[in-house]
Parts: sequence; structure tokens; C-alpha cells
Amino acid sequence: MKPLLTSSSGNPDPELLSALADGELGRTELGAALQAGGQDSATLARWNAYHLIGHGLRAPSSPVYSADATFLTGLRQVLAHEPPFISEQPHLAVIQAAKGEASNDASFRWKLVAGFASVAAVCAIGWNAVATLPYAAKPQLAQASPPAPASQQLVVASPQGPMVRDARIEELMAAHRQFSGASALQVPSGFLQNATLETPRSPAR
Amino acid sequence: MIFKNVCVLAGVVWTLFAINNAAAQVPTTGPLPAIANAPGAAAAATEAKTLNDWLMRMHEASKKRAYVGTYMVSSGGSMSSAKIWHVCEGNQQIERVDTLTGAPRSVYRHNDRVVTFMPDHKVVRSERREALTAFPDLLQSADNRIAEFYRVKPEGVDRVAGVEADVVMLVPKDAMRFGYRVWTEQKKGLVVKLQTLDTDGRVLEQAAFSELQLDAPVKMDKLLQMMTKVDGYRVEQPVLIKTTAGAEGWFMKTPVAGFKPVNCFKRPASSVTAGAGNTESLQWIFSDGLASVSLFAEPFDRQRHDGGASMSMGATQTLTRPMGAYWVTVMGEVPMTTLKLFANGLEHKK
Repeated sequence: MKPLLTSSSGNPDPELLSALADGELGRTELGAALQAGGQDSATLARWNAYHLIGHGLRAPSSPVYSADATFLTGLRQVLAHEPPFISEQPHLAVIQAAKGEASNDASFRWKLVAGFASVAAVCAIGWNAVATLPYAAKPQLAQASPPAPASQQLVVASPQGPMVRDARIEELMAAHRQFSGASALQVPSGFLQNATLETPRSPAR
Repeated sequence: MIFKNVCVLAGVVWTLFAINNAAAQVPTTGPLPAIANAPGAAAAATEAKTLNDWLMRMHEASKKRAYVGTYMVSSGGSMSSAKIWHVCEGNQQIERVDTLTGAPRSVYRHNDRVVTFMPDHKVVRSERREALTAFPDLLQSADNRIAEFYRVKPEGVDRVAGVEADVVMLVPKDAMRFGYRVWTEQKKGLVVKLQTLDTDGRVLEQAAFSELQLDAPVKMDKLLQMMTKVDGYRVEQPVLIKTTAGAEGWFMKTPVAGFKPVNCFKRPASSVTAGAGNTESLQWIFSDGLASVSLFAEPFDRQRHDGGASMSMGATQTLTRPMGAYWVTVMGEVPMTTLKLFANGLEHKK
């Protein structure tokens, strides 16, 4: 039986705790060790450390860490004092607010120039549409139209205004006209109408 | 209740007035004798016969008249014109259409055989169009339900290309189809002008003779000779495979009122008609007797196809949309709402 050893500070000797952890203490020593541990937090911490070491030696791949109440309490206090998460939105709002007024907003001449630029852009697009329309608005007879590239698009007239249509639609329209002849109006008039609808002249010619 | 009765009475009075008015305007030899002579109540009962007789007369007229003329078509904001020769001998019909605007084309039609000369490409396209000989059989068959969806309304007389013409309006009975105003020359019923009108009565497209010489000395054998003279031209014959929609896995889960499937073709990818989208496509054609709708289905191609669109060209409306692995184009001389019904009712099960 090992004698109960105490340090000079009155705390249980580390060897005693080690023997306790290893299950080597007798009844008397065990009682003394448990009594010492109950009175001294340092002894309890050492006891926990010994258990952790023992567990680590037995299962090195998955050590289990004892919860440190002090650490957790400290962590909670630190988190509580951390500033809240700041999203990017307030920064955007600031930027938008800054955009609200251009640096040259006060200058009427700038507005005049911008106005002219807008009108010029509309005119350019409009002129382009008008120039394209007479060619593009013409319905095509499919059998007469040479194969066109897939990306070829045409501007066509419609009650809703000029519209863009691609060459594939032209082909399908021709196919529709050719084989949709189950109409009572097809023979006397529809055929003549479809045959008359002009085909744009080939750009290659 | 009283108000309703008054409305009904007013409708009857108006119908009688309209018929009397029509009777005064349409000569006894005109296109609508049944309506002109029938009492008000019987007019509805004989409406179908009247419409069919009128359509038949119009159709037969093209078999009885030889003429030369200039034909104008106004569609989608553009005007096209062509010179036309037409001659008949027995059951044989032949006509030649030479375009005067756009690319030069000469289109010959001998019954259901159509030959198109494209001198700018030195190409001749030769094809058979069964639909051109579908009448008058279709008019006489039980499938003819035109009168269920259109009614005839006389609109007096007019003069077109120097000839006196009767004007008749084919009024749609619902908002799913367009109306037609037809001018037929009084003696035999040849169509000399045709307008397609939207549901609000606005003209979407019109075609008319600007000059017409009836009973012109056109020689059939001479036109036939010209039609077969293809020296120096490359002859193309579009490859079309007749099929059924069901065999290709396509169905209409919700039929569109009045429209019946009349034909279905498959175009192989190697077909000469496949240009921009050189892929196999299916064309399923529906008709209500006057208007027709084509449903095209082809494999979806991310590079060429987008989210779908709708467009308008004269009387022809077009709707495109993706449908599973396919890209569907619905096209026809009907309002856009009707095309949407077709698109929504279409289903692929294969």
C-alpha cells in the first residue's frame, strides 16, 4: 500500500493522482485523494488532464477533449461582445445614393448634349430599320429562296411594327404555304397569291 | 326578359332587312341565289348549302376561264406583283406566274404539278402538290364543315380590273379565325380580289387583279412546252416523306375547334428545302376548310433556338416555343390566340 503523499502546498501529490487514475490506490488513499480533489480546482484540472492523456494513449486517432468550462464561458463572453455581421447592402445603398446626382447634373449644357445624343441614336436605328424594311418586309416563296445561313435575320413589317425574323422562319412559312392548300380558297386564289409573293433578290447577285 | 325579347326581335328584323337588301343587290344569276330567295328563318338552314354552292362555283370558275392578267398582292407592308396566264381544257388546267417584283421567278402549275424556274440560280424545282386537286372532293365530302364556322354575307357589287364583281364576306362565327372578303366576277365566278381581315375587320392582306383579259387566246400546249424546257437548269425535287403525326409521337390532347388534321410530312435533313436549319423536321397541317395551320417540330438546338417568340406577317401569324427536346413552330392564317391553343394542345409521347 502506498502512503498518502501530499505536496508542500497541501495539495495532493501528482503521483497520487496518477496512481488514482491508474486504479492503483487503496481504500484509505482513495478517500484522501477524492477529498483533496473535491476541495481544490487545480487538483480536479490535473485529474481531467490525466484522463485525457490516458484516453489519448488508448485511442490516438480520435482524442476526446474534455469540455473546459472556463474556456467556453470566455468564448461566449467574447462572442457576445463581437460587433454584429455587416452585410454589403448598406455600401450599395450608399453607392446608389451617390449615383442619384451626377457631378455635371447642375450643368444644363450636359443635359442638352445627352438629349441630342439620344435623338441621334434613335434616328440612326430608325434609318437603319427603314432602309432594311423594303427588302426584308417582302414575304418569300420558299421554293425560290436559296438556303440562308442560320444566323440570318430579317426585319419584317407587322401591325405591331417592324419585327426581326430569321431565315428559318422564312423557309417554314414557304413550306406552310406550299402544303397548307386544303383551303377552299387555295385553288382559285391562294396559289396565285403565293406564287406572286416576291422573293428578295439574292444578295450574291 | 322583355329586353331580351326585344333584342331577339330586333335581330330577326335586322336579318330580314339584310337579306332583302342582299336580294336587291345580288342579281338572280349571282353567287348567292339560295340566300337571296330564302325566307328569314330558312336562311340559316340553307346557309351551309349556300356557302358550299358559292365555294363550288368559285372553284369551278377557275376551270372554265382562260385569261391573262396582272396580279397584285399586298401583305405585311409590301406589295408584290406578277403576270399570269391561265388556260383550261377539259379537266386539264395550266397556269404560268411570272413575278414582276423581287427575284425573277416563273412558276408553272399543271394540275397538281408545280415547276418553279429560278433563272438567277439556274435551278428548277419540281414538286407535286396534292392539295391543289383536293377540291372539289373535299367540298362535297362529309368532312366539309366550313359552314359551321363561317357564314356568307353579301356586300353588294364592285368593279375590279375592269370587270363587274359580286362582293361576299365570309364572316367567322367565332374569334378563332380570320374573315375573308371575296370579289368574284359576275358571269362565271372567277375570284378577282381577295382580302383577309382580322377579328376587328381590318385588312391584313389582299390580292387582286390590276388588269384582266378574260377568254384570252392562251395555248395550253405552248405553256406545257415551256414548263418542260429545263435545259441549262439544275432540277431539284424536294424530298418529302408522308407520315402521320401519331407515328412520329405527336398528338393533340386538346383539339382546336373546327381544325382537322389534313396532312403530315417529314423532311429529311438532307432535303434541299432544309437550308438554315438543316435538320429533320415534321410538318403537321390542320385546316378548317378556309384557314390552315402548320405545326413544325424539329430537334431543339441551343445555338439557334431561344425562349420562343410570336410574330406577324400580313395574315400569317407565327409562334415558336421549346417543347422538351423539340423546337415547335406554329404558323397559320389565324389569330395568335388560336396558335396558342394549338401550341398548348400539342403533346409528344415518344
